[in-house]
Amino acid sequence: MWFQQVAQLAVAGVINGSFYGLVGVSFGLILGVTGRFHYAFALVFTLAAYVVSVLESVAGWPATLSAFVGLAVAVLVGVAIEEFVYRPLALVSGKLSLLTVFISSLGVTIAGINLITLVWTSGSRSLGLVSLVPLHVGNVSFTSLDLFLVATAWLLIAALAGVLRGTDLGRTIRAVRGNPTLARIMGTDPARIYLVVFAIGSLLCGFAGILNGARFAVLPDMGDRPVMFAFVVAFLGGTRRSPFAIGLAGLFIGVIESLSGYWVSPQWTSLVVFSVLFVYLILHPVDLRSLRQALSPERSEIRRA
Amino acid sequence: MDYWWDILNLVLIFSIFTISLNLLVGYTGQVSVAHAAFGAVGGYLAAYLSTRADCGFWTVLFVGAVGAGAVGVVMSVPALRLAPEYLVLLTIAVSSIVLTIVGAVPMLGGAYGMIADRAANLWPLPGGDLLYPHQWVLPLIGFTAITYLVCHRMGESAWGRTLRGIRDDEVATRALGCNVFAYKVIVFGLTSAFAGFGGVLLYFYNQIASPSVYGLNVSLKIFAMTIFGGLGNFAGSILGAAVLQLLQPMLEKVVRLDPGHAFLIQLVIYGLGLVVLMRMRPEGLLPEGASLWRWERPPRAQPPSVVETSAPAISPVSILPSSVNERDDAILKVRGLSKSFGGIHAVRGLDFDLSRGKIAALIGPNGAGKTTVFNLLTGALRPDAGTIELHGEDVRGLPPNRIARKGMVRSFQDVRLFGRMTALENVMLGIREATPEFWRWPSGTKGGENLVDLFLRPAEAARVEERTRTRAFELLYLVGLTNCAEMPAGALSYGQQKLVSFVRLLGTGADVLLLDEPASGIDSRWVDGILDVVAFMRDAGKTICIVEHSLHVVERLADTAIFMELGRITAQGTIAELTSDPRLSEVYFGTV
Repeated sequence: MWFQQVAQLAVAGVINGSFYGLVGVSFGLILGVTGRFHYAFALVFTLAAYVVSVLESVAGWPATLSAFVGLAVAVLVGVAIEEFVYRPLALVSGKLSLLTVFISSLGVTIAGINLITLVWTSGSRSLGLVSLVPLHVGNVSFTSLDLFLVATAWLLIAALAGVLRGTDLGRTIRAVRGNPTLARIMGTDPARIYLVVFAIGSLLCGFAGILNGARFAVLPDMGDRPVMFAFVVAFLGGTRRSPFAIGLAGLFIGVIESLSGYWVSPQWTSLVVFSVLFVYLILHPVDLRSLRQALSPERSEIRRA
Repeated sequence: MDYWWDILNLVLIFSIFTISLNLLVGYTGQVSVAHAAFGAVGGYLAAYLSTRADCGFWTVLFVGAVGAGAVGVVMSVPALRLAPEYLVLLTIAVSSIVLTIVGAVPMLGGAYGMIADRAANLWPLPGGDLLYPHQWVLPLIGFTAITYLVCHRMGESAWGRTLRGIRDDEVATRALGCNVFAYKVIVFGLTSAFAGFGGVLLYFYNQIASPSVYGLNVSLKIFAMTIFGGLGNFAGSILGAAVLQLLQPMLEKVVRLDPGHAFLIQLVIYGLGLVVLMRMRPEGLLPEGASLWRWERPPRAQPPSVVETSAPAISPVSILPSSVNERDDAILKVRGLSKSFGGIHAVRGLDFDLSRGKIAALIGPNGAGKTTVFNLLTGALRPDAGTIELHGEDVRGLPPNRIARKGMVRSFQDVRLFGRMTALENVMLGIREATPEFWRWPSGTKGGENLVDLFLRPAEAARVEERTRTRAFELLYLVGLTNCAEMPAGALSYGQQKLVSFVRLLGTGADVLLLDEPASGIDSRWVDGILDVVAFMRDAGKTICIVEHSLHVVERLADTAIFMELGRITAQGTIAELTSDPRLSEVYFGTV
C-alpha cells in the first residue's frame, strides 16, 4: 500500500517534472543567451493555449493544425516582444537594462493577459490534443497524454541540446552566450541571434502551454505557476548549462514537489519547492559572474601566454 | 472627496515602500521583488497582535517593523553574494514562501486573511480612532516623512557613499577596507523593517491583512514604481508611486468605459503604460542627482581639458604621518606563499620582503603569476600555504577589507574607479578615521559611516565629513586634479583616473601599496607625472610594490626587482643585476 502510493506519487512527479524541465529549458535559454528577464513568458505560454483552444472549439479545426497555428503565434509573439519592446529599451537603458526590461516585461504580461480575458472571458476553456486513454502499469495509473508529455518534453530537450552542440547555429548561439561583444567582432550579429533564441524559446514555451491546457484547463492565470517553476528550474539547472542539466533540475523539482505531497498537505508543496531553492541559493558556493570577474586578469594572462 | 483622500493615502503608504526599496535597489544595487512580502510579515504580526493579544497601535507598529527587519536579515544571508538576476529569483522565492505560509496557516485566516477588530488609534497623539480617509492624511504624511528622512540621511552621507561604492564596484569597495557584507545585511534588514512598517499601516488602513493585499503583484508594482520613479533618488520614488497609483483613478475618471469591462481595460492600459513609460524614461522620472525643485539635469561631464599634472605640488600638504615608527626594514614578509587552481600551480613557494621607503618591482612574463600574488596578498584569493606577515602579524586568510585596514591596499590593472561618483567622492570613500570603540561596528570608524554617529551625533558626523572632504581635496591637489574634483570619475581621462586611484589608496592611510601596472596604457608625457607621484609616495615612507612590464618604469623606480617565472621567483636583486644576467636577458629582457 505504502509502496504503491509512493510509486504513484513518483510517477506524477516525473510527469510534472518533465513539464517543469521543458519550461525551465525554454526560460533558461532566453535568459542565459540574451540576459532578458522574460517575465512575459507567462503570456506566450497562455496565448498559445488559448489560440489552440479557440481554433478547435470555435472554428472546429483539427487538433494538429490548431497546435501548429498556436505554436506559430507563440513564436511570433515572442519574437515581436524582443524586437519591439526589449531590444529598443535595452539600447537606451544601458546598465539598467535588466531592471527596465523586467518592468516592461511585466507591463506586457499585465496588458496581454487582461486583453486575453477581455476577448475570450475569464471562463475556463478546454483543449484536446491527443485522445485521453487511461493507462496502468501495475497499480500505477496515468494517461496517454501524460505519456505523450514526458516523451515530447524530453525529445524537445534532447533536440535543443543537439542543435546547440552539433550545428553551426548552435555554436553561434553558444558563442553569443559566452561573449556577445566578441561574437559581434567576429561578424555575428547578436541581435539576430537573440531573435532566433526568442523564437526557439517561445516555441518550447508555447508547446508547454498547449500541453498544460490539455492536461488541466485553459485559463487566463494558467501561466502564473508554471512561470514560477520555470524561474526556479532554470536557476537550479544553471542558465548557461546544457538543456539536459536544466531538464534534470526540472525532474528533481517535480519529484520533490510530488513526493512531499505524501507528508504535507497540497498547499504546502510549493513551499517545499521554494525552500529547496532557498537552501540551494544559500549553499550555492559563489556567484559565478563575480568569481569570473575576480579571476579575469589571470585567465587572460594565461591565455595570452 | 474621500475618494481622492483615499488615493493620496495610498500614495503615501506606497511611498514608504518605494523610498525604502530605493535605498536597497538604487543606492546599494541589490534587487528585491519581495517588498510587499515583508509588508505581509509586518501586517500579519500587527493583525495577530492587535486582534488576539490586544496590543496598541504603537506596539504593533514597532513589532511589525522589527519582525520584518529580522526576516530581511535572514534573507540577506543567501543574498550577499548573488548577482541581480539571482536576487530577483531569491526574492520571488521569499515572497512565495511568506505568502504560502500566511495563506496556509488557519490561525492567520487562510486565504481570506484577518479582519481588523478596531481602527488605528494613535494615542497619545490626538485624533482618536482613524475611521475616514481624511483622518489618515496627516499621520501618513508624518510616517512617510520619517521614512524619507531616515533613508535620505543614510543615502546622502558617508554611509550612502559606501553603499554607492558597493553598487558600482563591490570588489574595489572591499579593497578600500569596507566591510561590504555587514553593510548589505544592515541595508537589507533596515529596508525590510520599513516594508514591515508600511505593511502595518496598510493593514490598519485597509482593516484587513490577506495574502492578496501583499501578493507578488503588489511587490512587482512597488518595484515598478521605484524603477520608474528613478533609482538613487528618493523624491523620484514618491513621484513614481504617485504616477502609477494615480494611473488607475485617472483612467476611471477620464475614460468612460463600459462598467463590465472597465477593470480589464484599465489593467490593459496600465500594462501598456508601464511599457511606454519605461521606454520614454528608462532612467526614471528623476534620475540620480536630479532634483524636483531645481529642474535640471545632473551635471554632465564635459570632456576634461588636458590637465598639466607632470609636476605634482607636493610641499603644502602634510601628507603622511606614518602610523608605525620603528625603523624595521621589512614591513611585509612573505614566506612559502603558494596557490594552485586545480592542477595549475599559479604561485609556488614565494619568499620575499618589502621594505619601508623602497619600491620593489614584480616582473616577469605574462602568466608568471604576478597579479595572482597581489590577489593573494590582499585576500582576494585565499593562499593554499605560506605566511604573509604585515607589521609582524600574519594576515593570511583575512578578508580583503580587514587586510586593507591593517595597512595593505592595492590598485587594479583596470583602475576600477566608481564611475558614477565624482573624483572627490572616490577619494573620500577610501578615507576613514579608524577607532577601536566596539559600538562603531561595522565600519569601525568615526563619522557618517557609523550609524550611531550618523543619527545620534550629527554634529560629530558633520565634522568628520568635513575633515574627510578637506583631506580628499588635499590629495587631489597633490596630483593637480582639483579642477576635476566634482566630475564623475568615469568621465576623466585614463591617466587622470590612474592618478585618482593612487590618491584614493593614499587616502586609506595604508603603509603598503601594491600598484598593478601603474604606467600601462598611458602616453609618455603622462607616465613621467605618474612616476613622480609613485616616487613621492615612496619618499613619504610608503612601502611599494609594483607589477610592471615597462623596463623604463622599473629602471627609474625600483630599488629591487623580483623576477617571477611560472609561479616561482627565479631571481631577485637590483634591476642592473637582473638585466646583466644572460639567461634572463634571453628569456625576458631581450638583448639590450
